[in-house]
Amino acid sequence: MTFSRQKHLSYWAFVLPGLLVFVAIIIFPVVFSLSLSFTTWKGYGSPTFIGMENYAKIFADSVFLHSLRNNLLIVAISVFGQIPLGFLLAFLLYRKVVRHGAFYQTMIFLPITISPVVVALLWNQIFSSSGIIVTIVRAATKNPQYVMEIFEDKSLAIVPILFVLLWMHTGTYMIIYYANLQKMTPSVLEAAQLDGASEGQMFAHIILPSMVGTIATTAIFAISGSLKAFDLIYAMTGGGPAHFTEVIAIYMYVNTFKYYKYGFGSAVSIVIVVLAVGLILLLQYISGKIERKFE
Amino acid sequence: MKRYSTVGKVLSYLLMISFTVLTVVPLVWMILSAFKPHAEIVRHPLMPPLSWYFDNFVLAWTQGHLGIYFLNSIFYSVVATVVTVLLALSGGYALSKFFYRSGKFIYMLYTLGLLITVHSVIVPLFIMETRLGISNTRLGVVLPYIAFGLPFQVFLSTTYIKGIPDSIQESAIIDGANYFQIFWRIIIPVATPIISTMFIYTFLGNWNEFILVLTLTSELSIRSLPVGINSFAGGMSRDYGLQFAALVIGTVPMIIFYLIFRDKIAQGFAAGATKE
Amino acid sequence: MKTKRLFVLFSISLLLVPMLVFAAGAAEQSGGGQDGVITLSVYHYLDQTDKTTAPNFQYLVDVFEKENPGIKLNFEYGYGESFHDKLQTMAMSGQLPDIILLYPGERTSQVTSAGLVKDLRPYLKGHEDEFADMAMQPQGANGEIWELPEDISVTSIMYTNNRLLKELGLTVPKTYEELLAQGPIIRAAGLIPLSIANKDAWPMQSCLAGMLVERTCGMEWFDKALSGEASFSDPEFVRAMEIIKELYDKQMFSPGTNQLAYGQGLDDFVNEKAVYLIDGGWTVNNMVGELSDAQKEYVSLESFPDIPGQKGQSRSASATAGQGFGMNAKLDERKAEAAWKWIWFYSGPEGSAIRQRFGRLPAYNLDEPEDADPMIKKLIAYAGSVPMGYVMDSVIAAEPIGTFNINLQNMMFGTMTPQDVATDLERMVESVGR
Repeated sequence: MTFSRQKHLSYWAFVLPGLLVFVAIIIFPVVFSLSLSFTTWKGYGSPTFIGMENYAKIFADSVFLHSLRNNLLIVAISVFGQIPLGFLLAFLLYRKVVRHGAFYQTMIFLPITISPVVVALLWNQIFSSSGIIVTIVRAATKNPQYVMEIFEDKSLAIVPILFVLLWMHTGTYMIIYYANLQKMTPSVLEAAQLDGASEGQMFAHIILPSMVGTIATTAIFAISGSLKAFDLIYAMTGGGPAHFTEVIAIYMYVNTFKYYKYGFGSAVSIVIVVLAVGLILLLQYISGKIERKFE
Repeated sequence: MKRYSTVGKVLSYLLMISFTVLTVVPLVWMILSAFKPHAEIVRHPLMPPLSWYFDNFVLAWTQGHLGIYFLNSIFYSVVATVVTVLLALSGGYALSKFFYRSGKFIYMLYTLGLLITVHSVIVPLFIMETRLGISNTRLGVVLPYIAFGLPFQVFLSTTYIKGIPDSIQESAIIDGANYFQIFWRIIIPVATPIISTMFIYTFLGNWNEFILVLTLTSELSIRSLPVGINSFAGGMSRDYGLQFAALVIGTVPMIIFYLIFRDKIAQGFAAGATKE
Repeated sequence: MKTKRLFVLFSISLLLVPMLVFAAGAAEQSGGGQDGVITLSVYHYLDQTDKTTAPNFQYLVDVFEKENPGIKLNFEYGYGESFHDKLQTMAMSGQLPDIILLYPGERTSQVTSAGLVKDLRPYLKGHEDEFADMAMQPQGANGEIWELPEDISVTSIMYTNNRLLKELGLTVPKTYEELLAQGPIIRAAGLIPLSIANKDAWPMQSCLAGMLVERTCGMEWFDKALSGEASFSDPEFVRAMEIIKELYDKQMFSPGTNQLAYGQGLDDFVNEKAVYLIDGGWTVNNMVGELSDAQKEYVSLESFPDIPGQKGQSRSASATAGQGFGMNAKLDERKAEAAWKWIWFYSGPEGSAIRQRFGRLPAYNLDEPEDADPMIKKLIAYAGSVPMGYVMDSVIAAEPIGTFNINLQNMMFGTMTPQDVATDLERMVESVGR
């Protein structure tokens, strides 16, 4: 047996087992979804081909557009909230600005270990109109009618959820950055310090540039995770009240499983994928530019 | 030398402490509430328990069948996690060190997998599993867990293994080693930090998974903890004490698991998320 | 070389084999048939952690299995929305269990319309008169009965705390204006006038809107609207919407009602923070366990007061024949007979008597039990004395009603007018076909 043949066979032996499971369980149904997305189907009988009609309906639906807006806000809070905050926390821990760093690190990461359903339930006990905040305010102001109006405002209802997401996921990014910072060669920083560089200058000129690649990678996780966000929001508000906190994944779920519109629901899942691919390509374009600038 | 202004330090502490408070307070409140009977929670939601009331745990454990669910959760999490990590490592090795053209395409497929929601494949998946006769079996749960775990794990392992210098592999080949030996004796040992991260991350995901196990199984004897927890957390539960006890049973093991393995996560991510 | 490659392939498959074996061991246990025992799979809606419902249901099963040693029932339980999600997945893949809990109207139409279940009329023959008329309404296009309703659900009861009412110097309101006038007095005492928790969006529709529509429009109009001779955008329908809006604007509902999870409404009533509770008859089930004996004395079941110029009947409530078991169309004769034994046991005289003692309102006509809980007696008396209109979600398809529920929230927030809500419902109903 030739060497290249051995290499070839080993390659497939390594790749295939995982790939087969993955293709059978995920890619195969996705292809099924894609073809279903051009039809209308109620779950029984045979599907009727309707071309692009589902897609046209999706983008004409104000509920979808509001969900899309909420999803983009979630992308924004992860890319411009969780990532910078996670980075800042990692930096503070790395430079030992605070004492008992290990303890704080644990506390910041802890939310990740809890199931989203439990997280939602706990925060609901805090936010809901029978929850802790409302109970305290009612007792303090002697106004039993008090409710948190932010939840009943079409454009602001998503804000408390963004806050919970920020709390929940910042820890992941902090851990990633913290670990990467520890891999840096300490001598570089020491030398800069001797040259009289301020902490801010070191941050901007040494630490940040070395982390661009890592940040870009984490941003891909952030985008894909944000666009398919479902569990936490569904358990917290179910998308309500009045669709105010709806996101695309909930929109898809409701149309498929509550209204029995399988074709339409499939089209929505395809839209999620296409959107995510678009955003990720945009991100790679931008991060490529930034990396070149630093070189 | 003092490198930080007092203001900066105060702000840093403030940030750290607010995160800590936001995490600790709800958890402590949850745990304390689990020791209060329903009526006491309704009347004094913020007070610590008047006396330690253990019946919630006993009832939740027996009524919610949490014992069986607990064992199943451990089974699914361990089996699916071990297989996922192994497959992701071997896949990551092949995709990063063999330089075949198909590798790029396969990697792209996996990236696409990051974007797929469970709900968009659940119906075709259920149909497939019933046709194959593996729905309502443990295998029928473990396979989707592996499939959904793989994309992120392949991502992590590929980026990590890419960072291992090619020269190590080349010299090993010259010494007459084959690729499987390289994988077992070189790649896996070098990749230990990322392996522990992959393990913990996959384990957490599998432990908390709900929709797949609910849809793909019907018998109580093969369902897992989130199914039990969810029937308490579902909103219509008329007993908050039971609800909190169930939440504690579902949450605390993972917190302990994390506290044991936390250092490994940090080390692994370090390596994993860096390109080159 | 070759051996090593084989070794790796072997070790990978070795990992998979134990899983397969383990898995198979769990799967194959229900074959049935040998030694004359018939095994049937049953899909049922049950919260297994519910301290009242779960043990009650288990009691019924135990009684049945004792009486029918030749039949073994294998239950799978679903709960909440996941019950319906799973049912749909099973229906689509053609893998329904032998016996399935089904709902009247549109909720489980993906099963019934697809012809996946048997028509129960041949089995039921001769017993039709033993059930409430409401329960014997045709469920399919050709008059089929797909499921044998277990209960009658009255969905719009105004539970009243007469102790609080007396303390405030008030009486049960006869007219809508009187109710509105009570609002400021009740709120001044720090209490909630009408306790209702509408976060999940269905309670406002199911427990209030349907009844109001019957009041402002009358049953004749309701039938016409359903058949397409009248429109949901008619002014009398809009009037019903306006009442909801007015109740909300005048702070008659629980504060933040659209943020309150279902269940909180009952909590506030049980804790005497609310004077009235708007909820369905099914809540009596919980009240039996949660109200104190003293509370059971002074809590009464009332109807929403008369509305000025109402076309419907005074004191009317909305009601529907509830869910019940149906059987898989694929069952052979022997299995179908066994399945019917269970269905008849459950919804027929024997099971109904047991369920009535537990606080349900069976669709099967029974005498009032003597030893029942006072709340159950009150429910039976109430249901027997008031006229009944339609529950909207049992006569209108899933998508229009889902949108309508949410539009009601929009209306309360002021993002839609009552007229918008009515027009949109008409449009949706028209687009999915009446």
